[in-house]
Amino acid sequence: MRAFRGIPAEMTVDFGKGDSMVIYGDNGTGKSTIADALEWYFTGGIELLSHEGRQHAVAYVGGESDDVTSVEVFTNGTLGGKVAIPDERNAETFHVIRRETFLLRGRTLADFINKTKTEKWKALVEILGLDAIEGLREDLQRARNELRKLSKAAEDELRTYRRAVASGAEDVGEDTVLGNLQQICTMLRVNPPQTLDQVVDPSWLTAAVGASTMASEGSDRESLLAEIKTLTPPAFDKDAVDAWNDLVSSDRARLLPRASLVREAKRLFEAGSVDKGRCPLCGQKVDAKSLAQRIESALVDVMEASRDLEDVRDPVAQLADDLEAAHQQRLSLHNRARTAELGLPPVPDFPHVDLRQSLETLAPAKMAAIAGAISDVRKWDRSAAAVAAKASPAKASTRDTQLVMLATLCQQVNAWRLAERKAARARRALELAERVFDAYQNKQKEDLTALLTQISRRVAEIYATLHPGEGLDAVSVEPWTAKGIELAIEFHGSRQRPPHGVLSESHLNSLAIALFLAMAASFNEQFGFLVLDDVINSFDVEHRGRLAELLADSFSDWQLIVLTHDQPFFEHLRRRAPSWRRLEFTSWSHASGPRTTQYETTDILRDARERLDRGDTHDAAARARRALEELLQEVCEALWAPLPFRRGQANDKREIGELLKGLRRTLKERSKLQLESLEPLLKNLEADVGAALNVAVHASRNRPGGNEVRAALERIAVLDDTWSCSECRTRVWHRGNPDAGRCKCGQSSFPPFRLQTGS
Amino acid sequence: MHRPNAHEFLQALLDTLEDLPPDFARRFEEILRKNEPDRSQAIRLLFEDVAGD
Repeated sequence: MRAFRGIPAEMTVDFGKGDSMVIYGDNGTGKSTIADALEWYFTGGIELLSHEGRQHAVAYVGGESDDVTSVEVFTNGTLGGKVAIPDERNAETFHVIRRETFLLRGRTLADFINKTKTEKWKALVEILGLDAIEGLREDLQRARNELRKLSKAAEDELRTYRRAVASGAEDVGEDTVLGNLQQICTMLRVNPPQTLDQVVDPSWLTAAVGASTMASEGSDRESLLAEIKTLTPPAFDKDAVDAWNDLVSSDRARLLPRASLVREAKRLFEAGSVDKGRCPLCGQKVDAKSLAQRIESALVDVMEASRDLEDVRDPVAQLADDLEAAHQQRLSLHNRARTAELGLPPVPDFPHVDLRQSLETLAPAKMAAIAGAISDVRKWDRSAAAVAAKASPAKASTRDTQLVMLATLCQQVNAWRLAERKAARARRALELAERVFDAYQNKQKEDLTALLTQISRRVAEIYATLHPGEGLDAVSVEPWTAKGIELAIEFHGSRQRPPHGVLSESHLNSLAIALFLAMAASFNEQFGFLVLDDVINSFDVEHRGRLAELLADSFSDWQLIVLTHDQPFFEHLRRRAPSWRRLEFTSWSHASGPRTTQYETTDILRDARERLDRGDTHDAAARARRALEELLQEVCEALWAPLPFRRGQANDKREIGELLKGLRRTLKERSKLQLESLEPLLKNLEADVGAALNVAVHASRNRPGGNEVRAALERIAVLDDTWSCSECRTRVWHRGNPDAGRCKCGQSSFPPFRLQTGS
Repeated sequence: MHRPNAHEFLQALLDTLEDLPPDFARRFEEILRKNEPDRSQAIRLLFEDVAGD
């Protein structure tokens, strides 16, 4: 972490090879910076800073820092890398990572279970990757609905042709039609067809009666009269229009015009092509997280309303199509009748244009106008049929008339057979679509039930471990309506869903922790680590112990990073999980940032040399002074140097002079010879602190040069080396106790062997 | 727990359905792979196509 949050320069946390770690520190010592860094690196943001006006605090804000804010994460897989400000990653970067559960914080613990059932559902859908499966279901549904419309249209068309063939009767069989044809052929003394397939072939008619006998004029007139006689008004489904009117008159209809707007807002927001601090639609300043939530919530409402609208729109749209087709048909008949000198009444107005406008503008359809129009159509059809009946037959011979009848019948049979095939095909397509769609929905439901059962089992196990024998059993995650899930619990024999009414705050927090751990354990595919930041604030001592045991025993395969300011919980984890790494944050200062028990003298010295090489003498001196403080603090702590007691973080903010005094006292008591050999070096370092490493002096005219700072740096390095083994590079107190310690390989010790013996 | 993606989910579903038209499953999965802009339209055309004459 560099120039990040409360870290002015750089801080490194060593997690070993994926070891778990418990991190302890009082409030304000900077331990949550670690959780912040992981959150920023893996999600692109820090939830606490997502509110308006806080985003700048990702970078160090304590003062001037020349460093670029960055976080670098090392992993044994592909997730590691470095991210720096400006962070140019977009939503797509986090698409897969969003499905991983890895961070739980005390301050957002309640949020986790206080989400609405729809929000919980959406979170689950995202974590489980069900959004793509749901998207395919919606596409299948659209395809199925379209096929329903097409099949209905094909059936209507078939009915029309069937009526034409059957001279207005509702139903007719192939045998009847074939019989009629054969009868006409017999009258005409031509070879009658044996099957209807023969008739469908145009060459049959020509061959049977000869082209010369075809009378087009008579044929047209006969065909016209036949069509007029078989006219039927379009079907009118009053319930469908009522359903449409009910929906568009409801409050939900007001959401619909915003659909495309909300979708566009979501697209812009997710594509990262807008300033996340501003609304993509109106440009006003707005907090990014609440904006995302509002867009999501609006989209859910709009989508649900759209779905319902789609269901009620289709039949009304079909009615508009039918009305238009009927209108066109009658206009065409009217024109043809004029040519044939038949006086048909004027065609009445049809309301299909108004109806389409109602669909377009989401306005109620005028029921009376539609009913009136259907009635007018019926009247017109009857009048036209009467005119057709009275029309004198064509002036043609009987044979010509019969030939016209045969030709007309052949055409109608052909059209009927084509419509039959089309309707059968549409029916087969629809049947298959219905079968696949129903099976898809059922499988989706079954799979979700199985998933929820599995999560519930895991949540219940974890919760029971935290609260054994408390009469709170059968914790589960249950579906609630089509697009919602909710937590439920058996409370002394009664089912409580949600459980907020019967559980205490700490029990609810336990439930959130159980849900978090269960989700991660069940569904994480890439992340093998979890971060828990101050999650036990509402727990009593007993439940803190239980959680420590649960983490140490049941999650030993995971890399856990547990941050806490609770000393008993820290100690409990130390005892229960001795293999875990431990890191204590002891203080935070404006100039230096967090101070930990993980001393970094070597790193700070390297940093100081680099700054000196770049000619930055002032910063190099400040870093060198920090390195000396760090080193003396470490040595005094390791050797239990007697230092005056101070309360809290003040214990950690000692002057170099005070630390040197403590070190001298310790060496005088336990290793006098070593003190004598070190004394010249310590005196020089004291002089350095007053001059070369004195930041105030650097501001004066007689400021020290780079050589003086470099010499001071070398002296600090010599003192640092004093406490490390030249062979294994570990400290001389690596094993043993402050009175008698050894390095890891045993070659070096405190007090030193040679000095001890005087050799 | 393994999270099924839409392809796997569909494949598992089609495996359980009997008497599907020949080649239907392969063509459906191809629509998913191609990432069609109007996927519902492509699915509808597939249903119509396999319904035959």
